[in-house]
Amino acid sequence: MIQKIKNFFNFGERLKISIENRNYANYYLVISFILFLATAWAVIDEIITRRPWKDYQIEYQQLLNEKLVAKYDEAISLVDSSYINGLQTDLSATKNILNSEEYQNIFDELNDLQAELIYATREWSFARSKSDAIYYEYNKSLIEGEVNKVAEKKLREIEKEIQNYADSITAVNLRIEEKNKSISEVQNKFTSLTAEIKRAYLEADKLKLKISKVRAQPIEIKQILLDDFERTNFGEVKARVDRCQTCHLGFNEQLMIDAPQPYTTHPLPELLKIHKLEKYGCTTCHRGQGNALTAGFAHGDEDHYWETPLLKKRDVYASCNSCHSNQNALKEAPYFTKAKQVLLEVGCYSCHQIDGYENMEKIGPSLLNVSSKVTPEWTYNWILNPKSYNEHTRMPNPKFTIEEAEAVTSFIINNSKNNSYKSAFPLGFYKGGSVEKGKITFSQVGCKACHVIGDDIKVREARGTQYDIAPELTHVAGKLSPDFIFDWIKNPRHYNPESKMPNLRLSDQEARDVVAYLQTMKENRNPEKHKFNLTDEDKIKFGEKLVKEYGCAGCHNIKGLENEAKVSVNLSNFGRKRVEQMDFGNTPELDKYGKVEFELREGKPYVQHTWEGWVYGKLYNSQLYKTERIPQKMPVFNLGDKEIRMLRMLLMSYRNDKPMEKYQQTYDQRIKDINIGQKLVSNYACISCHILEDAGGYFSSSLEDPAMGPPIITMTGAKVQEPWLNTFLQNPSPVRNWLKVRMPTYKLSENEINDLTKYFLALSKQQLRVRNYKLFEVDKASIVSGKKMFDMLQCLKCHIVGTAVADASSLGPNLELSYSRLKPEWIVDWLKDPQAISPGTMMPGYFPDGQSPLPDMFNGDAKKQMEVIRDHVFLLGKNK
Amino acid sequence: MINRSTKIIFALIFGINVYAGDVTGKVSFTGAAPKMPKLNMNADKSCKGMHTTRVSSEEVVINKNNTLKNVFIYVKEGAKPTAAPTVPVTLSQKGCQYVPHILGIQVGQPFIIKNDDPTLHNVHSLGKANVQFNVAQPIKGMKLNKKFDKPEVMVKFKCDVHSWMNAYVGVVNNSYFAVSKDDGSFTIKGLPAGSYTLEAWHEKFGTKQIKITVADKSVTANFNYAAK
Repeated sequence: MIQKIKNFFNFGERLKISIENRNYANYYLVISFILFLATAWAVIDEIITRRPWKDYQIEYQQLLNEKLVAKYDEAISLVDSSYINGLQTDLSATKNILNSEEYQNIFDELNDLQAELIYATREWSFARSKSDAIYYEYNKSLIEGEVNKVAEKKLREIEKEIQNYADSITAVNLRIEEKNKSISEVQNKFTSLTAEIKRAYLEADKLKLKISKVRAQPIEIKQILLDDFERTNFGEVKARVDRCQTCHLGFNEQLMIDAPQPYTTHPLPELLKIHKLEKYGCTTCHRGQGNALTAGFAHGDEDHYWETPLLKKRDVYASCNSCHSNQNALKEAPYFTKAKQVLLEVGCYSCHQIDGYENMEKIGPSLLNVSSKVTPEWTYNWILNPKSYNEHTRMPNPKFTIEEAEAVTSFIINNSKNNSYKSAFPLGFYKGGSVEKGKITFSQVGCKACHVIGDDIKVREARGTQYDIAPELTHVAGKLSPDFIFDWIKNPRHYNPESKMPNLRLSDQEARDVVAYLQTMKENRNPEKHKFNLTDEDKIKFGEKLVKEYGCAGCHNIKGLENEAKVSVNLSNFGRKRVEQMDFGNTPELDKYGKVEFELREGKPYVQHTWEGWVYGKLYNSQLYKTERIPQKMPVFNLGDKEIRMLRMLLMSYRNDKPMEKYQQTYDQRIKDINIGQKLVSNYACISCHILEDAGGYFSSSLEDPAMGPPIITMTGAKVQEPWLNTFLQNPSPVRNWLKVRMPTYKLSENEINDLTKYFLALSKQQLRVRNYKLFEVDKASIVSGKKMFDMLQCLKCHIVGTAVADASSLGPNLELSYSRLKPEWIVDWLKDPQAISPGTMMPGYFPDGQSPLPDMFNGDAKKQMEVIRDHVFLLGKNK
Repeated sequence: MINRSTKIIFALIFGINVYAGDVTGKVSFTGAAPKMPKLNMNADKSCKGMHTTRVSSEEVVINKNNTLKNVFIYVKEGAKPTAAPTVPVTLSQKGCQYVPHILGIQVGQPFIIKNDDPTLHNVHSLGKANVQFNVAQPIKGMKLNKKFDKPEVMVKFKCDVHSWMNAYVGVVNNSYFAVSKDDGSFTIKGLPAGSYTLEAWHEKFGTKQIKITVADKSVTANFNYAAK
């Protein structure tokens, strides 16, 4: 064999031949053969191997074609065939008539008639000319005084002739009209029958057209070019190309809703409507490599060094922040909204710098007066392990050693020794109360909206987070003295002027009953009396050092530490941190490219060594990656799987490579107002009771009848007069007397009330403007008919006007309030469809689908009727 | 000649619904009948005036023969949807009560709610799968036309003007349902051959299920509820 090859190439011998005579033919043959193979391979690779999308397109077309054909068949089968047959019979009969000799004869006859008409018209005009000539003769003779009898006779004859021709013209015209009529009758029938058949097959025809379009669809790369989309790392403007829909062909095709990937319909068509593909592409939200044409590279499963791999599952909401970082709530993205709320509640910004979270309220309670509230022992145990007292607390565990906890306790207690509260304490004394009554008051007035007590965890479940936003009170008797609780309930701002706990305006007796009830909530632990020297100067110094290092002042107000900087890293670009920059300590590793990022095996955490795995582990246990050499000071939070995933999603979104400005949500005054308002609303936990922007209303879940819960307040801006809102927020007075739950008094500042007012107005797309609602005037007739309608519709069955009870239910607000409370135009909006504005409201709709129940008033004009009702209702309280 | 039982077996195996049967039964009640409170209609004078004696709540109605009235019985599993009839089902508001208190209807079947009282009522549906509505009927004789889009057992109706008024509507996607009558009996007609799970629903006593097989003749299915 080797010899043969040697012979073939003539090795050995060839050097003996002179260069001019050497033969290269065999070399060329082999090389050209190799070249041919390489070319063939390149072509095959280019056309088949590297273009799987072609197969996808072919398969998609087949799939869609099948579906369309099935739909077409269905559409055909839905057509009433007997009806169509009838039409077809009529049509062919009509066609027969159209083709019949008789029908054709009509045209011939028409032609003859036309000729006759032309002849008659011509003769008529000739006769007229003749008559003119003879008339001249005749008239001339008259002037000359000699009557031309012959001319006169001729004139009479010719006039008769004219009349004859005119008659025959009319007759012929009539006949022509007749013929035309019979022609158009047949033709009209033909057109209407054809149209009717076409109409019956309209749906089928549409599908047919679509089928032919699908079949004619070329196999090609489909791409979208986004101009000036982003900046490169070197600051240069760069476009982006997305070719995703080359394979994801059915994203906009509703028929593909149950098709397998990559053909499936986009699951959120309403999101696609506001983010048009032509403008935003796919990778803006989903990330991935837009110009790749194989799944592995496009999604980033194969190319692990692609910096922005596809966002999986709900992580895709991270992209909302690319353009909407200045918004807290997005109507179409409840997951994103909830995640931002979780971030506000967990308070990551207390230690970390995050863009958009500057100058936030501290989320923990003030410690200025804490030594007057709890004992040093309790404080020590709390600092050592907050969860042992309250499993659902938001206070993270700093994992102090006993020595450290002692030091921190000494510092905190000593630091608040001389406080303002001590001298003024208390507002009154407990003096005993009824446990039973206290329990009822506690459940009814609204304490449960924020505080969990005993077994009733309905509100916590409705909120859906592992942490509570206010302390659970199941063991509160072990923490606070009865006198303290009494003073606290009567006025929380007494102990802590900045407290978020509002005042529910309980009477002394009510407050004492609640205290009596809370006194039954005994301490669950048996904390050993831990005695230590609280006044050791070194210990206090050490404690202060720890408090500063661990950033306690990020969440708590601590005397002397008012101006501490944030203790931890800036997270504003954390989403771009590379896994190579992350330290996993000694945590065992999970399969790097598997689906599971974090797993507990026999209680021991295993972490995938990816960005996602690291963050999950860190949020699950902030000190997971701690080693002997690497300390971790981030305290351990109490987060469930849901919250961890939400926060991780937000961290993913913190990147400095945002799209260019033209893609960003403009940060106008309205969005600013909403943003400020949302932070206030979150701070004061309004949504614990109220449904606001489609979220919240958790308290109602503790009630048997949710209709007895606090009202929906999203529409406040459109509903109430600004001065009323101002007064109400300062000092709430009940509007819905039948509710047991109370709107508390918050002692909001004038600025906060203004911000809330602007927020509500912005939500209703209104602006703050000076307006005198008392100038509303109407004519008397309007009030009279308004009153009549008001009586006929029996509004007073539920509403009251001044009096204490209504005719039947008393479950409607006092309408005398309207004059000072409601915007007049609101009354009409409300009457139109109360359920649409406030789902579940007890107020029924009187005008379903715009139909009035009283057709006799104003000819049943619903709009006019609502207006006169408004006139009457609005002015009910005018002279009160 | 293939004998009858072979035919039935074939029918069962191939699901050919050649045969159909009626399901009849009774809902019996054991134990002491709970005493129902009298409705307090004092709040609305016009309601009070419509009755000479005070009316009891219809939450539990025990018939004279120790059977339970107002139990909604339907096929929970196994039945195929049937076309919705065009004959409407009517729910009246009469004497400040919903009449009947319990009723069944098919998805897509016309549903009329009318006010036979000379006082204001509001028809407030509290469906979970179906869209809720709340419409006022201030004039006697007013009618509201509705349809249900989805099966739901049961859709509660209340009247916010008169807190004691309520009714329950069982919405199913076939014609195989019934409400137990004054003697506790019920009949579900024309159920095709096959195996089914039958469920009984009662406002206070909850649900009970039994499995039945329909061949070519009527099947008996009895339910029993006990006092709580």
